[in-house]
Amino acid sequence: MLRVDHASVYFAARDKRTIHALDKVSLTIPEGSFVVALGTSGCGKSTLLNAMAGFLPLSEGSITLDGRAIDGPGADRGVVFQKDTLLPWKSVLDNVALGLKFAGVSRAARQERARDLLRLVGLEDFADAAPYELSGGMRQRVGIARALAPDPAILLMDEPFGALDSMTREQMQELLVSVWQRSGKRIFFITHSIEEALFLGTQVIVMSPRPGRIVARFDLDFVKTFVRDRDERAIKTSPLFAALREEIRAIVHQSEDLRRAAE
Amino acid sequence: MTTIIAQDIVTASDPTPVPRLVKMRGFGIGEGSTVTISLVTAITLLILWWVVAQTGLVAHLFLPTPAEVVSAAAAIFQDGYANASLWEHVSASLMRIFSALVIATVLGIPIGLAMGLNRWAKGIFDTPIEFYWPLPPLAYLPLMIIWLGIGETSKITLLALAMFAPIVLSAQAGVRSLPRERVNMALSLGATRLQLFREIVLPSALPEILTGIRISLGVGWGTLVAAELIAATRGIGYMIMSASHFLATDVVFVGIAVIATCAFTFSLAMRLIERWLVPWKGKS
Repeated sequence: MLRVDHASVYFAARDKRTIHALDKVSLTIPEGSFVVALGTSGCGKSTLLNAMAGFLPLSEGSITLDGRAIDGPGADRGVVFQKDTLLPWKSVLDNVALGLKFAGVSRAARQERARDLLRLVGLEDFADAAPYELSGGMRQRVGIARALAPDPAILLMDEPFGALDSMTREQMQELLVSVWQRSGKRIFFITHSIEEALFLGTQVIVMSPRPGRIVARFDLDFVKTFVRDRDERAIKTSPLFAALREEIRAIVHQSEDLRRAAE
Repeated sequence: MTTIIAQDIVTASDPTPVPRLVKMRGFGIGEGSTVTISLVTAITLLILWWVVAQTGLVAHLFLPTPAEVVSAAAAIFQDGYANASLWEHVSASLMRIFSALVIATVLGIPIGLAMGLNRWAKGIFDTPIEFYWPLPPLAYLPLMIIWLGIGETSKITLLALAMFAPIVLSAQAGVRSLPRERVNMALSLGATRLQLFREIVLPSALPEILTGIRISLGVGWGTLVAAELIAATRGIGYMIMSASHFLATDVVFVGIAVIATCAFTFSLAMRLIERWLVPWKGKS
């Protein structure tokens, strides 16, 4: 279980003012769950992810993964970045195998594992391609396979589909659900799309900016319904889905209005 | 509501019209090849030179005709110049440039990388490099000779100093242009400091380092004549300086042509090395 306990983050802004980026955020990500953080830009969701990944130390509070405190980046947490960070001098296969190379796995073994992961994301025919030959969606799929390679306990995804067109995005959501289901990994996923959050999350947390904090939590099962029925349209057009979408939209706008009134 | 818009019906008897191909209006030089223009320019310049020299517009002492330069080149190629064959002059210069290049890269790449990675290294090396780098090599040439004598050491040191700075600065720039996300990516995959350096930092900085080596070779050829100014008996720079004392302008021209050919060959070789080592450059 990944446990975030009263995590607060303060940054120094360029003009010496203090920015309160994260305010006493508490959150647990149990085994097998898919937690989606939703919010407008500046609500601290990326700060939270960076802290979970170990890129950013906390000002206060703690984060533990299966009981161990997080004190830096490590291969037990796979990260998928907003911008793909594939190495242009390595083939797709070697990019996926990078984490295994760091772990000292032999060349043959890591290539075999990387091939399996490429099959999982549907890119087995592109193993020898160069990253710059792939489309944006394909590159993010390589990013997912790469993050899975060292067999992390959790996958942290920072708006991975934000730069994709809406049609590719829907395909990627479905792919991610099947990866989640087949690998059994916990996922922490950041988005600013309400529909994406509702469709993917077993738990959705809504965050609001300045200071970044959690203003609402929802436990959902749309994604489990999708795993069972594979019918995306039926889910997204269901009255419950629409009602929740409007409810969350109201929360997001309300916190926006409050913030504007305070300024 | 469904509307199907009827397509225009094209009959088989229509003559296939040739479509007018269009593309985005460009800016700057566009895509057209400049090779022909450059060739015409080169030929024009040669003709202009020939006319100016032939008509005596410039005194013959100062400007030889193209034919004289060619025959001087042939003579030097056959009999050498100043007690040394052309190849001995060229190899002496190449030897100096190569030695200086090896010294400059072997010292420059690690120091530049260290300056990009470490605050202490940056603080320590910045001061001397920023101080000497803008100086013209001719300014500190006398010091080199006083300290190191008139042999090869002072010449190679002068060249190495001139070639060192561009390599250091480019290696440093290569590290600093490394995206933060790429580092985070490697760390989240469990990279150690050493693996991070070998697998991420070094290949990321490589394109800039190669650019730095190209620049430093240019600087090297530029400094060569200065390095061979004093107490040399071999070398293209020496050949040029020595010929100028006797107003043998045709030999000076030959020397310049030899340097230009060597520099061009080096530049071409570097471009091939770049294509081989960093084929991903410019694609992302």
